[in-house]
Amino acid sequence: MARGTSDLSELDQEKYDADERVKIICLGDSAVGKSKLMERFLMDGYRPEQLSTYALTLYKYTTTVDGKAVLVDFWDTAGQERFQSMHPSYYYKAHACIMVFDVQRKITYKNLANWYKELREYRPEIPCIVVANKIDADLKVTQRNFNFAKKQGLPLYYVSAADGTNVVKLFKDAIKLAMSYKQNSNDFMDEVMRELENFELEQKEETSDKEDNVSKEEKDQLP
Amino acid sequence: MEYVAKRCGVKFDPPSIVLVYEDGKTKKMRQRIMPVRNFSKFSDCSLAAERLKSNARHSAYLQGVSLQQLERLHGVLRDRLRGHTLEQSLAELRPDPDQDLNKLSDEELARRKAHMDVLFERNRKRKDDPDFVYDLEVEFPEADDRGTCSWDESEDGF
Ligand SMILES: Nc1nc2c(ncn2[C@@H]2O[C@H](COP(=O)(O)OP(=O)(O)O)[C@@H](O)[C@H]2O)c(=O)[nH]1
Ligand SMILES: [Mg+2]
Repeated sequence: MARGTSDLSELDQEKYDADERVKIICLGDSAVGKSKLMERFLMDGYRPEQLSTYALTLYKYTTTVDGKAVLVDFWDTAGQERFQSMHPSYYYKAHACIMVFDVQRKITYKNLANWYKELREYRPEIPCIVVANKIDADLKVTQRNFNFAKKQGLPLYYVSAADGTNVVKLFKDAIKLAMSYKQNSNDFMDEVMRELENFELEQKEETSDKEDNVSKEEKDQLP
Repeated sequence: MEYVAKRCGVKFDPPSIVLVYEDGKTKKMRQRIMPVRNFSKFSDCSLAAERLKSNARHSAYLQGVSLQQLERLHGVLRDRLRGHTLEQSLAELRPDPDQDLNKLSDEELARRKAHMDVLFERNRKRKDDPDFVYDLEVEFPEADDRGTCSWDESEDGF
């Protein structure tokens, strides 16, 4: 990805340093319901911004936390999860993470371990919530423990984007966690991240031909 | 409703959607064959499904058939035009829950999502539903009261 370095400047992520702005990212396999959850939370009020070159969708949301106006950017992937890995700029300056699996598909639960590992490589400290989605399909799952969350010491939410169970609570809590993380950390990791990122981009240039082919093929298959 | 849809299927030659329905007046079971026109292996199944559903001659019969189902049936017809066997297409319609959906093409993924949409729409609560609650909170058993999950039993490197 030769254009890698411009990724960050074009997306202007420095804005996330401002006190009243937070960035929350969604992670998880294809079709676990990440986008449906976003849409359920935002209802009609959402203004998604498609950044198709980066295969991501940004949802902006304004709210007040402790009497202060806060602008939240939710980052949702738009197909990049296919590569089972996200570009470093996706994680860059994120203040919280919502990590989703589908209670009807075991593989999406098993893959949490990979998503979590990648998250922690870039953002070792940010709060992360594990989300069991689609509980409307089988309410019995709410009587079962999903050990991954417990083992990692992460909160687990049982939700349904379809009937709305616990969706709003999930997002509100994520915003609170993001705000408190932001207020209590000085984000020194970001500097380290930036170094890592540039290093990785340089390495990636050599393989850029191959990557371009992949994205062309993907486009060809669009209906 | 004048015509009560009972079952749907396909015919390959010529490519057609077949509907078995009950005539509301006579209470007799009837079969209707609806040829799918201008349809090739490159066609967009959701467009073709919409076209059929709104077709002047067929729409009255297709009231009780969902767009998703028509889309899936067109998918089977298109698969055949692409040289797939019926078994292959049906296997795709009966999705394997262990399949890794990250590995599908855009089109295959869209088809799987269309399939998931059936349950999603059925369970969906909309803003204009009388019992809609935006901030719906439900408490479930505390972690200590929950049983273990079979997904955790085989410790395959997790
Ligand atoms: N039954 C049910 N289906 C859901 C739910 N959330 C999402 N889905 C289905 O899962 C499909 C994939 O959801 P989507 O948000 O596109 O997943 P993403 O790829 O993670 O963004 C949708 O087309 C829905 O049909 C849910 O809460 N319950
Ligand atoms: Mg999505």
